[in-house]
Amino acid sequence: MLEIKNLNSGYAKVSVLRNVTFHVNQDETVAIIGPNGAGKSTLLKTISGLVRAQSGDITFENNNILGLSPDLVVRRGLAYVPEGGRIFPNMTVLDNLLMGAYSNPGILKSGILEEIFTLFPILKNRSEKFARTLSGGERQMLAIGRGLVSRPKLIMLDEPSLGVAPKLIDEIYEKIHALKRFGLTVLLVEQNTGYALELADRGYVIENGQIVMEGAATDLSTSEHIKKFYLGL
Amino acid sequence: MNFKKYFNQQNTFILIGLVIALVIPQAFKSSQYVMLLITTVLLYAILASAWNIIGGMAGQLDLAAAAYLGLGAFTTGTLLIQWNITPWVGMFLGGLIAMGLAILIGFPLFGFKVKELWYAISSSALVVVLQSLFMMWNEVGGPTEKYLPSGSSPWYSLRFNTYVPYYYIMVTILVVVILINRWIRYSKLGYSLLALGEDEDAVEVLGVNSQLSKLKALAIYAFICGVVGGLYACIYGYVHPAFFDTSMSMEITILGIVGGMGFIYGPAMAAIVMVSFREFLRASLGSQLAGLYLAVYAIILIVVALFQPRGIAPLFERGLKKIQTYFAELKRGHKADA
Repeated sequence: MLEIKNLNSGYAKVSVLRNVTFHVNQDETVAIIGPNGAGKSTLLKTISGLVRAQSGDITFENNNILGLSPDLVVRRGLAYVPEGGRIFPNMTVLDNLLMGAYSNPGILKSGILEEIFTLFPILKNRSEKFARTLSGGERQMLAIGRGLVSRPKLIMLDEPSLGVAPKLIDEIYEKIHALKRFGLTVLLVEQNTGYALELADRGYVIENGQIVMEGAATDLSTSEHIKKFYLGL
Repeated sequence: MNFKKYFNQQNTFILIGLVIALVIPQAFKSSQYVMLLITTVLLYAILASAWNIIGGMAGQLDLAAAAYLGLGAFTTGTLLIQWNITPWVGMFLGGLIAMGLAILIGFPLFGFKVKELWYAISSSALVVVLQSLFMMWNEVGGPTEKYLPSGSSPWYSLRFNTYVPYYYIMVTILVVVILINRWIRYSKLGYSLLALGEDEDAVEVLGVNSQLSKLKALAIYAFICGVVGGLYACIYGYVHPAFFDTSMSMEITILGIVGGMGFIYGPAMAAIVMVSFREFLRASLGSQLAGLYLAVYAIILIVVALFQPRGIAPLFERGLKKIQTYFAELKRGHKADA
């Protein structure tokens, strides 16, 4: 579904990603794990078009999406939930969600909001409140919900556990698990390796801008390298 | 969502405002000074309301209002002086030229994501650059004032010997600009502007072409400034490169912020309150110490910024809500009695 080949990317003259190659199959959940500064966020930003790639290929459903601006990428069905959620604090929860339908307002008639409210009942209770009044966990749910409004085919989540109280991480991950019921393909970037590998089907390990390991999530979580450096076992 | 109720409440506001607006000239007709003052207040109200689109909603700290105003003034003035073309056409063309320049400037600025302070500096530079250009361009501008001819019919050349007609034209434009503000605020464009004013990256990954949205906002704002610029030239009866006035740009931005960023009526209210007050101070303190009125004015601005950081519009809204609940309770009380 999503194929990345020999991707090089970075900011101005600083190269962050070097020859990154990976793919995500339909209906799969793929986790990309790695330490701080490895280039995980840059990878998602490059796919979503916020950061311009220096070279390489990004194809989504056999169409080249490299070099498209972010608004065009999302119209192809590829949603991106940025790190920290990046909700609009001075807009209401409902308006935040409505912004998710910006590229295709007609989608609201399909009952997507009700589906999202079923998944995240808390958002329904808070829908008239300003988003700035939400807690860290609620913000993350709002961000994911906002990403879902456009009914994407693939959703990219950047560190959904960041800034969320430990108690609530379980809940967030249950919700992400439920996304599969939406028929969604999920590309997840996480520092929280334990959670990510438990949820994902497959995983890639990125270090210093390069993919150093790949495999089934269960294989990765039992590998010595991961155990030692990421899980602290 | 009770948009409907909100609209009605705003409509009552507009109606009351219009009635007052119609009566004002009858009361002050005798004093041309007061009429010019009120017209100036309205000019600022229009410009600050237009600024609300690019500044308040889209969050771009634009300081180029006087650039677009000046372009409109020179277009209107030059067309009337050299070809005797009516300012009605000149105002419209002036708006279009201002809009054209805004798009020309905005395209690279927004394309390269110039924002915040850098956008403020770039846009304010535009005013200075245009002033220098028009100072050197002798056919149109130059260092001496170019006077607008009075012509045969005052309505053709828009040159009146009283300020009352200008006042009515200004009121009309202000109402139109506020309606445009309201229309944009609740349109798709408005939502994208408000959201990108908060977080531009986040809004792009939701499918908003932020460059295009900002460009639209800038174009509408520049057009309004250009149109008003044409009228400005007619009121003063001449055009001069001093119309490209950085401090005026600054003041419009301040009014937009003090009024309440993104509040439809905020900037107009701020202009009416603050500019009237400034002129009142100028009239009453001007004779005592030059510049004293500006110091007092500045202190008031600082106080507003300190105690009402979101602007004076929320204050009015709260007051209005109180009145509403009072009447609602009164109604309920009557029902209870009956």
